Amino acid sequence: MIRSTTRDGATARTSPATDAPPGTEVSPAGAPPGRAAGPTSPEAAVAALAATGPGLPFLIGVRHHAPSLAAALPALLDAAAPDVLLVELPAEFQPWLGWLAHEETEAPVALAAVPADGTGAAGERGPAFYPFADFSPELVALRWAARNGVPAVACDLPLADRTWVRGGPDTPGPGPTPAGDGHGLSAALRSRLTGRDGDDLWDRLVEAPAPGSTPEALRRAALLTGWALRYEAEATGGVDGGDLVREDCMRAHVAEALASGRRPAVVVGAFHTPALLPSAAGAAGAPTSPAPWGQATSAAPREQNRGGGAAGAGSAEACTVSLIPYTYPLLDSRSGYPAGIRDPEWQQAVLEAAGSPSALHETLIRTAVRVCTALRELGHPYGPADAREVVRVAGDLARLRELPAPGRGEFLEAVQTVLGRGETYGTGRAVAQALERVLVGARTGRPVPAAPRSGLGPAVEAETSALSLPGPEDAHERTPRDLRLDPARSTLDGRRELLLRRLTVCGIPYAKEQAVTGAAGSEGLTTRWQVGWTPATAAMLTAAGARGVTPAQAAEGVLRRRHATERAEGGPTAAQVVRGLTEATECGLPSLADERLTELAVVLPSSGTLPEILTGLDLLDRIRAGHLPGPAAPDAASAAGTSPVPGATEDPAGPASPAASARAARIAHAAELLTSAAVRQVDGLTGSEDPEDARALLELAQRADRVGGIRLTAALVRLAADGTPLIAAAAGAVRVLTGHEEAEAFGVRVASWVDGAVDSTSRATLTARLIGVLTVAGPLLTTGSGALDPLLHRVVELDDAAFLARLPALRGGFDTLSPAARDRLLDTVEERLGERVDSLDADDPAALAARTAADLSARELLTGLGLPVPSPAHDDRFASRPDRLAAPPPPTTRASLTPTPATGADASAVPVPARVAAGAARTLAPSDRWLLVLGRRPDRLPSSAARLATALDELYGEGRGEGSRGGMPGPGQGGGRRGGREASFPGVREWSEELAALFGPGVREEVLAAAAATGRQDVLTEIDPAAAAPSVELLRTVLRYAGGLPEARLAALRPLVRRLVDELTRQLATRLRPALTGTMLARPTRRPGGRLDLARTLRANLATARRTADGTVQVIPEKPVFRSRAGRSADWRLIIVTDVSGSMEASTIWSALTASVLAGVPALSTHFLAFSTEVVDLTGHVHDPLSLLLEVSVGGGTHIAAGMRHARGLITVPTRTLVVVISDFEEGAPLGGLLAEVRTLVATGAHVLGCASLDDAGRPRYSTGVAGQLVAAGMPVAALSPLELARWIGEKTA
Amino acid sequence: MTSDTTTTTGSTRTDGVPDRATPTAGVSGGQNRQVTPPEEQYATELAFLAAHDSGPRPPGWLLTPRAVVTFVMGSAGEALGLPKTARPGAGVPRRLVIEQKFVGERALVERCVVTLAGERGLLLVGEPGTAKSMLSELLSAAVCGTSGLTVQGTAGTTEDQLKYGWNYALLLAQGPTEQALVPSPVLTAMTRGAVARVEEVTRCLPEVQDALVSLLSERRIAVPELAGAEGAQVHAAPGFTLIATANLRDKGVSEMSAALKRRFNFETVGPIGDMDAETALVRRQSRAAVERAGAAYQVDEAVLEALVTAFRDLRDGRSAEGWEVERPSTVMSTAEAVSVAGSLGLATAYFPGDRDVLSLLPGHLLGVVRKDDPADAARLLGYWDGPVRRRAEQGSATWRALWELRAVLES
Repeated sequence: MIRSTTRDGATARTSPATDAPPGTEVSPAGAPPGRAAGPTSPEAAVAALAATGPGLPFLIGVRHHAPSLAAALPALLDAAAPDVLLVELPAEFQPWLGWLAHEETEAPVALAAVPADGTGAAGERGPAFYPFADFSPELVALRWAARNGVPAVACDLPLADRTWVRGGPDTPGPGPTPAGDGHGLSAALRSRLTGRDGDDLWDRLVEAPAPGSTPEALRRAALLTGWALRYEAEATGGVDGGDLVREDCMRAHVAEALASGRRPAVVVGAFHTPALLPSAAGAAGAPTSPAPWGQATSAAPREQNRGGGAAGAGSAEACTVSLIPYTYPLLDSRSGYPAGIRDPEWQQAVLEAAGSPSALHETLIRTAVRVCTALRELGHPYGPADAREVVRVAGDLARLRELPAPGRGEFLEAVQTVLGRGETYGTGRAVAQALERVLVGARTGRPVPAAPRSGLGPAVEAETSALSLPGPEDAHERTPRDLRLDPARSTLDGRRELLLRRLTVCGIPYAKEQAVTGAAGSEGLTTRWQVGWTPATAAMLTAAGARGVTPAQAAEGVLRRRHATERAEGGPTAAQVVRGLTEATECGLPSLADERLTELAVVLPSSGTLPEILTGLDLLDRIRAGHLPGPAAPDAASAAGTSPVPGATEDPAGPASPAASARAARIAHAAELLTSAAVRQVDGLTGSEDPEDARALLELAQRADRVGGIRLTAALVRLAADGTPLIAAAAGAVRVLTGHEEAEAFGVRVASWVDGAVDSTSRATLTARLIGVLTVAGPLLTTGSGALDPLLHRVVELDDAAFLARLPALRGGFDTLSPAARDRLLDTVEERLGERVDSLDADDPAALAARTAADLSARELLTGLGLPVPSPAHDDRFASRPDRLAAPPPPTTRASLTPTPATGADASAVPVPARVAAGAARTLAPSDRWLLVLGRRPDRLPSSAARLATALDELYGEGRGEGSRGGMPGPGQGGGRRGGREASFPGVREWSEELAALFGPGVREEVLAAAAATGRQDVLTEIDPAAAAPSVELLRTVLRYAGGLPEARLAALRPLVRRLVDELTRQLATRLRPALTGTMLARPTRRPGGRLDLARTLRANLATARRTADGTVQVIPEKPVFRSRAGRSADWRLIIVTDVSGSMEASTIWSALTASVLAGVPALSTHFLAFSTEVVDLTGHVHDPLSLLLEVSVGGGTHIAAGMRHARGLITVPTRTLVVVISDFEEGAPLGGLLAEVRTLVATGAHVLGCASLDDAGRPRYSTGVAGQLVAAGMPVAALSPLELARWIGEKTA
Repeated sequence: MTSDTTTTTGSTRTDGVPDRATPTAGVSGGQNRQVTPPEEQYATELAFLAAHDSGPRPPGWLLTPRAVVTFVMGSAGEALGLPKTARPGAGVPRRLVIEQKFVGERALVERCVVTLAGERGLLLVGEPGTAKSMLSELLSAAVCGTSGLTVQGTAGTTEDQLKYGWNYALLLAQGPTEQALVPSPVLTAMTRGAVARVEEVTRCLPEVQDALVSLLSERRIAVPELAGAEGAQVHAAPGFTLIATANLRDKGVSEMSAALKRRFNFETVGPIGDMDAETALVRRQSRAAVERAGAAYQVDEAVLEALVTAFRDLRDGRSAEGWEVERPSTVMSTAEAVSVAGSLGLATAYFPGDRDVLSLLPGHLLGVVRKDDPADAARLLGYWDGPVRRRAEQGSATWRALWELRAVLES
């Protein structure tokens, strides 16, 4: 027996991982190797562990938080009366045990130890953190020892030991056992004990049966649980090497106590108890032999690698220990702080019940009532009857499971069953909130005031002096220091950056980040800070101290708290997740970053908008590239430790660490998820008119192309076919860029747009399309010849009138490009044109001569008539640029016709070029046309064309982006002319007249509208109310700026708006009314649902009456007639909830117009709610669309849930209420709230409809992810035209 | 005559509680039925459990709560023995292994049983095809010996079907008498102290659902037509309670009123969490369906596994390997998987040698997925292009064969 166990023990020790498959070890004979001299049954094992007597330690196996055991502990210790108390705490805590057990120390408090070897290691190791509450057996034991004068010894391995590198302290117990392992003992116990999956063995075996049992029985149950867990751990792959080393240390303490003749009571994790028996020590051999060390290193080679020099340094120095106050919200294990427990307030109540079943029952009743009260406070109707049912179900469940009293598990199950009502959102969330409020509590602890100062403040001071940043001694400095950090290059800077980021996150006023722009507008890799130590810094450090004892821990605490708040509010939203991940990585908090990363992969695909998803992707790229300290920090630090060459840190770290590669894989995985989610969002862009969306589309296409996106191709085709002009053109360009379409074919299409731009609508479309194309593929035009050629030809070949009509539209489109890009495009164009013109002219010198002759004769004629001749300007230009001589204004084809030169020359001689256009000639040179289109180098234009350029420059200016600053000041190319241009238009009126003269009145309206759209409010008054064609676009433009106008100006504008609105409303009403006629008719129901109508039944069945044998008359009712339900009243309520956030203008106008039409329908009472982040009820204005539109101001964020909540308040008869939500569904608030609101609204029975957009084309621009979830929540979402909406209303109310 | 009468016949069929002492009667009757009700199918087990656990029972119950849980969840393969003093009826063995009938969390069943023991209404909610109805049948069969007191909720369900109707011929001939009154299954359950079941309660119109409110809170039904007579008030006997089931994701459901919700305890029945358990369930049930048709079951394990994997992937929106899958709007329930497996089994049985079973799978999957949203077919195609292709690339023969069948989905 002894021999075999020793050998077994040896194998388990040296190579636990490579042992025989676990299945072979489960047999009870050989499985528990070495421990407790190999007891073969649980009973024997527990008997051995629980044995008391001289020469044996009094073992108390605990879990870090265990209320029942804590309640029984004093009695156990009293009975055992030990001479010394050994507690499983690191040796460094020894001097603090007195303070901890001091009677003035109020739990909860926490002991924290930070290795004193600097910040680099702290980031990867994390401080050891031991929270204590009244229900922590360790604290109870220490207090008992203090009261009874028994010396207490912290018997665990010192934290300085390198074994700890593998991680902080774990709660012995449930942690190491993998659930569902199939063959595990605990798995078997679990399925037998309760049906709950993932249940906690300790709770089941120790806590649940505790009420009413004796302290000794409790101790045995705990020891059994520990033994079982250990048995299983050994069977499934061996006990963690670190644990073995720690147990050796504890065993040595026990042996020492026994040797000195004192009888120890040992309060350790139940898991460790089997290793502490003297027999186990004998079996294990010499506790300090090199074997465990070898084992530790072999089991953890990668931790050793990762730890590197830092851990080595740690073993040499001591730790800084702090005793800090703690709170129950932090103690709750969901807060993310280590070593917590679920629902501390409940545990406290269990402790106070002290194992008495009746007291526990009282606790249960009290808690159930408090939960119901909390729910009532949250506005949900729950009362004593519900509380009674909770108590009943919990009690019956406990009885069914043969427990002495219901535990936390039963209570939660009962609450979920009785109060949850099967809803995850809405009620379910409220119940969870109430539970948290009641079960977690808000208790706060306080260390004894006399305890030495410790915690965050000293830690930060030490760190600042180590990093030579300003510290408390520099508080006299008036101005903050300016720092420029290059964390990617220098390790010191990296550590500084980390500290500054962490302190910033904690809200400690110490460092302020300054904006940095990198070269060429790219993201900067360096950071700039202003750093200064002020008294406020010290004060805030004290306040932040409860969250942790190092900057890393405090930052993590703050971020986790924020995370928890987000979750409590139903979030986090996509934006919050992205921000959270950014901060977590910036602060170098790998575990939090990992969590956020997981969350990112879940939240963003389902609820993020396309820009948010792309931001997320961008962030992932930065993390992968190592631009953020985040998860890469430990590797960088260790690499820096081994190879101090800056810049070379990336390479050695990358392949070496498996953890890093696993993380890289996860990041890649998340990026892939986001990409495919983004592809799904593409359909939601159909209605977009924002160049940013086009840009996002391009970025996405490039990414998705890389990972082989399959559905993107189809989505792009759809988009190119159905999208708004802008987005359709952008999609087309993206298809060219990704190689799905030929550049030539696309070029032909682009050119055809120019052809088709014949009226104001199509010209606006042209502008939008050009913006779309150029946003995506500006460079494509300059390089891809096929794409440019058709457009080039078209611009050159159009006659003047056609060109001038399209010029503003073209200019507006090309304005998308930055000035520098336009310059480059111009160079390309000139290059091409140069060839072209040269070749044209070179082919027929005779024709050239004939043309010149004709020109000259015409000039003579003009001079003879006394008309002004424009030649000097031309001559100037030609003189200055002799190379252009070969390109005279009238190109070949026209000039060769002899009758025309006279008219052409005549027209060009007249100062107003509009008439030039009327002359149907192409007097504008190809290159001049391009100068005009691109709006560059106006100095090279002939004077007549220069006026055109000037008139348009008034609107577009120099443009935005690269090169726009260079052209503005100084004597550059355009500088000289600029002054003159400004002088030429002292007011809008002049400009307007000039536009009319140059381009004609139709085009003038367009240019003015475009000017209004870019913010020139003054032009609005120039628009002629009578002449303006009623269009939603114009109305939109006018309305956008109506809000900012003073009333006097507004009065002038009113006729215009009134006319537009009246006209549009009339048009709409004509179409809507027929669809709504059904509203007034009530449909009779034929269901045989009501009472039998006896009179009618008799009348209908008299034919079947017959006399029975006894002479009575009997009617056989073959056709029963029922009384149908009373006719429904014809009163319906329609609530239109309109999103007026930035992107929804067109829909806002349509919905206002539709609402005013619907308000005229007698059977409907129409409400109109406008919401952005606030809700405005505009029902009072609904009959007057003009005032309705003037009241609505577009802009701001989106909070759909608020709008819907207000709508819900308006409902009186839900079944006769229609709620139409018009929004892009890019909810800014947490999605959970919105979903809950939708569910609630649907649950009332109201008819709810979501409109992704409301306009004539029915093109939506919306977040498909969110819309999908809303549909799942019960709200159908569609993109509708007003007519379709009216049809829907007609159907519902029919 | 009217829909009332159909309900009446439905309830009269189950008027007599089957005599548990003679289980053979049920078996012989079950031979020409498509589905045997659980109280007949498991008559032996019920009789055995009644004798096995003689502890105290809630009023009106045939078994102890613990025995009900055992009946539903099985005895984990162990043979239970009757106590020595028990005198079971004929045909009941002394030792018996109770078969597991519901695959899911034991705690869920425990909560259901406790709810019923408290005579409170139990509402089982969950996605379609998660065996809610089966669980309610099993529970009611175990608690009161019949699962037949059932009202099937539809949009056409009237209040009469939940309360009472009249035999109109009798009503006209004799006036309102107790004989002319046709009790609904719910009323029958009330008078007998049994468990009534309302299937798909959310499909009933809200005003019809609300008929249950007064019934559940006051535990009696007033019959105003019989005013003055003895039967003007029908009181619920001890043991009466109600199990309702409701789907969450189906179309055409009406929400329940808050008043009604308050009178129920809710249990959410989720899809089966464990892949192996689900595969076993699909195998067992489809085999039973095929064998009932008199054919041999020849769907091999690899096909079943692929089928269940595909269903789980599409249901969870995440493949077994953790890759993202676009979830179709159709509910991919285990019940659907069973029916597909059954179809595959029948296809191999009736058209042997025609084609490989595997080659039929994509078509069947498409049939399941393409129900109302045309985009769902594209999503299935996306599933093929994603996980199926990757698995094929990783060298799994089954998945490679499936990948090669991609063309089937493109139609």
